[in-house]
Amino acid sequence: MQTMRHLSRSGLRTSLFSRRTLRDSLIRLNPALLLSNPVMFIVELTFFVVAAMAVYPPAFWPVASLALRVYYVEIALILLLTVWFATLSNALAESQAKNTANSLRSLESEVQSKKILVEGDVRRVVATPSTALRKGDLILLEKNDVVPIDAEVLEGISMVDESLLTGESTPVRKAPGDEVIGGSKIISDNLTARVTVNPEETYISQMIKMVESSKRPRTPNEVAVTMVLVGLTAIFTIIVSALLGLSITLNLAIDLSVLIALYVCLLPTTIGALLPAIGLSGISRLYRRKIVAKSGRAVERAGDTDVIILDKTGTITVGNRQATEFIPFEGHTSKEVGEAAFLSSWHDDTPEGRSLIRLAYEDGFVPRELNALAVSEVYEFSASTRTSGVKISQGSGFMLPKGDKSGRERGRLRRKFEPRQEAGSAPSEDETEIIKGAPDAVKKIVRTVPSNYDELVNQISSRGDTPLAVTKNREAIGLIRLRDVLKPDIREKIESVKVMGIRPVMLTGDQPLTAKSIANEVGIDEYKPEAKPEDKYEIVMREQAENRVVAMIGDGTNDAPALAAADVGLAMNSGTQAAKEAANMVDLESNPAKIIEVVMLGKQLLMTRGAVTTFSIANDVAKYFAIVPVMFASTLPQLKALNILGLGLNTAVLSALIFNAVIIPLLIPLAMRGIRFKPTSTMSLFIKNALIYGGGGIIVPFIGIKLIDTALLSLGA
Amino acid sequence: MIQPADFLTLVLILLSAIVAGRLLAPYIVKIFTHAPSRLDRFLDPVEKAIYRLLGVAPSHGMGWREYFLSALIVNIFQMILAFIIFVFQGGLPLNPQGFPGFSLDLAFMQVISFGTNTNLQHYNGEGVCNQLPNCYPLNNTPGLSYLSQMTAVQFLQFTSATTGICVAAAMIRGFVANSRDMGNFYTDFVRSLTRLFLPLCLIAALIFVGLGVPQTLNGYRIVSTLEGSTQTILVGPVASLVSIMQLGTNGGGYYGANSAYPFQNPNPASDIFQIFLMLLIPTALCFVYGQMLGKKKEARPILWGAYSLFAIDLLIAFIPNYTLSRGMEARFGGFFSTFWTVVTTAVTTGSVNSSLFGNHPLVILSAFMGMLIQSSPGGKGVGVMYMVMYVVITVFIVGLMSGRTPEYLGMKINARDVKLVMLTFLVHPVIILVPTVLAYATGAASAIGVSTGSTGFTQIFYEFTSAAANNGSDFLGATGNTPFFNISTALVMLSGRFIPIGLLLALAGSMMNRRRTSEIGLRTDSATFTIVLVGSILLLVVLTFFPFLALGPILEFFQKRVNGF
Repeated sequence: MQTMRHLSRSGLRTSLFSRRTLRDSLIRLNPALLLSNPVMFIVELTFFVVAAMAVYPPAFWPVASLALRVYYVEIALILLLTVWFATLSNALAESQAKNTANSLRSLESEVQSKKILVEGDVRRVVATPSTALRKGDLILLEKNDVVPIDAEVLEGISMVDESLLTGESTPVRKAPGDEVIGGSKIISDNLTARVTVNPEETYISQMIKMVESSKRPRTPNEVAVTMVLVGLTAIFTIIVSALLGLSITLNLAIDLSVLIALYVCLLPTTIGALLPAIGLSGISRLYRRKIVAKSGRAVERAGDTDVIILDKTGTITVGNRQATEFIPFEGHTSKEVGEAAFLSSWHDDTPEGRSLIRLAYEDGFVPRELNALAVSEVYEFSASTRTSGVKISQGSGFMLPKGDKSGRERGRLRRKFEPRQEAGSAPSEDETEIIKGAPDAVKKIVRTVPSNYDELVNQISSRGDTPLAVTKNREAIGLIRLRDVLKPDIREKIESVKVMGIRPVMLTGDQPLTAKSIANEVGIDEYKPEAKPEDKYEIVMREQAENRVVAMIGDGTNDAPALAAADVGLAMNSGTQAAKEAANMVDLESNPAKIIEVVMLGKQLLMTRGAVTTFSIANDVAKYFAIVPVMFASTLPQLKALNILGLGLNTAVLSALIFNAVIIPLLIPLAMRGIRFKPTSTMSLFIKNALIYGGGGIIVPFIGIKLIDTALLSLGA
Repeated sequence: MIQPADFLTLVLILLSAIVAGRLLAPYIVKIFTHAPSRLDRFLDPVEKAIYRLLGVAPSHGMGWREYFLSALIVNIFQMILAFIIFVFQGGLPLNPQGFPGFSLDLAFMQVISFGTNTNLQHYNGEGVCNQLPNCYPLNNTPGLSYLSQMTAVQFLQFTSATTGICVAAAMIRGFVANSRDMGNFYTDFVRSLTRLFLPLCLIAALIFVGLGVPQTLNGYRIVSTLEGSTQTILVGPVASLVSIMQLGTNGGGYYGANSAYPFQNPNPASDIFQIFLMLLIPTALCFVYGQMLGKKKEARPILWGAYSLFAIDLLIAFIPNYTLSRGMEARFGGFFSTFWTVVTTAVTTGSVNSSLFGNHPLVILSAFMGMLIQSSPGGKGVGVMYMVMYVVITVFIVGLMSGRTPEYLGMKINARDVKLVMLTFLVHPVIILVPTVLAYATGAASAIGVSTGSTGFTQIFYEFTSAAANNGSDFLGATGNTPFFNISTALVMLSGRFIPIGLLLALAGSMMNRRRTSEIGLRTDSATFTIVLVGSILLLVVLTFFPFLALGPILEFFQKRVNGF
């Protein structure tokens, strides 16, 4: 089970308690800055009142007396401390958020770019960090460069690997007029391109900047919680004012400082103090996972997720299939299939191809024709034929040096030798032609189809694997089993999602049998095989029509509409700019499985806020019983019977007030790391938390106040 | 502690109220959903005639504002009519005793009292002693003529109870999925009168007559006693008034002593029947809520929340031994007096069958709880409204801990909802505490001989709590007939009635057509939720008043214990 345990402690590194944080917390004591926090603002007002009482008690006759001046000083100090604890928690949370944001920014600015300076007819290339680029700048993109920022190609034709962005492993050809996307990789040739966007306009920069500013807009839920706090504050204001009025008219002789103490104790100071820190830390926790959120609102929304759309590739499986078995047709051997696969994959740099070589090598199927590979024609994979292959020609004398740095030459050669199945020309005697590909495509080019061809293909698909057919000189010799490798822990993650009442929906381009098998294996009941990017949008729309909250991930431009429509859209940093802009969160590590963590973090944020609110309100029970009996003690001694804690008459009020103050710093770690929880159903979370923070909120202050009182009494206060 | 036999009686009465409420609920639902009924044949023409007479378009659906304003205007109009009758009753017919009209401030207070379903009475209905030979009440206030009792008092008792049930129906409609509007106040009003209150009261009145409650217009009878002297028998149209005052959780009795007066409550059977009538409709409305929503299970937190709080009230009230004390009616004994006091405050009826002075401080404490909570199960209609509000705020505060932004019935609770609930919460502290302090500060309390001690404080605090909760039971009675108390309680009753109704209708109005999800996160129909609900109500509503309760009944309790009570 995934717990939130690993978050612990990291939130409160000692570095957070810097001098700057301290200064920041003191600056925030300025009443004008406290106005946005009504509860703390009022506590500070009461501090000024009690301080005035200490300075000149006669001004407050008949509710203050000279004899109690020391007492007033004590109360005033505790009140000030209460406010300071609140501002401190705020300053800590903000410094934490800034620290994490800075680490994210450094992550983003690591890319170096080659800026072209045009001076007359002379062009000069200058190494520039990507963050220093401006819109309209010219950049040089060379082989193996990572495109630093979105740009438009001006000169040159090149193959660009966008697999990290789009999942499509085939390199894309980019010619003048085409867009290259930041994060993609040049694999051949050089390009000159013009930057189309300013770095600070990039989505992530904007988001980091927004969260850094202390004027973070409050989320709807924060606004509503604030409303509760304001309402309670108003109620207690009336209660205490009425008590003051009665004290005067009925001669109850209640000291104003005691009334103020009761007032502040009853106010929801704990949540009032920690509310901003809780929201900010929620975003920081997301940052620490290298996820940038557009707003706190998006994080909260994640907690409400009802449906989560998962891309199979990258989320459930590691993304690349691995060859696991060679299956020969009748009359052929595994060795034959393995060797053919080895030969055909030699030029294939994709993880799939490498896994084929590895498997063949491990099984000892290293072909004798290895040397001949140096002289070969390569059939690149093409989407139209859905096959790839190699033709080994003994006598052609054509050399393609492996590992040659000149990608340009190699690329030209590849284009020259496009696969020519359509020609149907059989290879000559001294040639060996190996083609592998999708079984239905291969079926069309072989001379005879083995009788159990379809049966074997289906067998592999039904297990959730992908079959690959291998031909040698147009004769089907066998199949390769490509297995989707599940991500570690994915089954547990899916289980925890389901347990929380969230419905996972899996999308995959695979055919139905494969999709079903994978879905079954990880415990997903709903899946969409042969899915196109538009399907995501449709699913989002369908679920939202039922008023469900939908979370999804996406990276391609095709995903943008769905990402924009989804309540929680997590874009991959490797994805297109369009996707990132449409989403409300971006994962800088481009790990789609993180969507599950985002949901958990959202829940944790809401739970923490609810728990501290409940705890704060439940604390009032004990505070009433601590203060009310001694409040009336001088005039109505019978009410001492309510002093069920047996607190000291002179110390009870101070004890309650001290408890009220120190509970804030004690809860800062909880507020900043979030409450821990195990994924279970909403109802069991509710019961458990209601018991801990509701029940605990009633009991803890009884114990705490009694302990403080005992300590005060033993100190002879 | 409660005796086993008494406990059994109590349980049987509560069970019969719950069962009868459950049986009555579908019928009430039909009234508000306009479902076909067998009564349509007789009542449809009558109702249509009334609509035509009033110029009402019965199919016109109202939003919350229009509904609320209609209810307010109709109620104010009715109160003005009653005001005229109270002031001019001396010159109006059906006044065999020749009672003079009420003073303006008393008339103002009384029409608001009846019009807001409070029925706080600063007069003795049967009249004053200096106008009658050998009469029991000693207070010098005018009595009410038969016309006033039947038209002004009974009329307002009907209309205020009807208004309560109508606004509750309107609020529920706001929570019902896919409702187009909150209904039409006029049709709701007419239909609940013709189909619910009039028939039920007719039956109840006949039963009361059978149990020995008088119903006559023939004037007070002067009879010769065995000792040879004469005695005035104070009779009138009592049975009809008792039935609506209990069914409508009004509580304003025919007599100053209310149901402690033998003619209003002649025997244990009539006593039990009155308790049953008080509980009947408030209980039924809990079921109505679930049925109108189309989610019967959602009635659970409303009903069981209400009855759990009611049980806590009873538990507190029955801690002391209920020996008969001064002010209690010997015919019913301590058990029925205590039980009645708890019921009458829990459903905010406010009728009494014993003097509150005779009740143990803990019984008074329990009465305070009933009035402060207002929904255990609360008054006609508003009890359900308050409980739904408690559910909403509990879902919001505590539900957040389930890791989802809080939803009730699949609807997200937003900041505006919370604001409306908090404003409703704010009403009680303001309208109870401000006048309580003023009563002492202005000397109005001492002017009527109320002490500054715990007993005196309890009286004043109770007066305004009762007024704010639209309960109507009180310590002051006719001694409260001073301009200060008449005007202050009148304003408190008016605010305590219509401000929350307005705010809660606004809440329901904003719930209407809100996006709903079918996903169930927090189950509000679960036992756990009911427990949390009860806890938060005690914390948010009762505990708020703890310092004042400590000054009143709690202090009195400790003082009396010290004094060997």
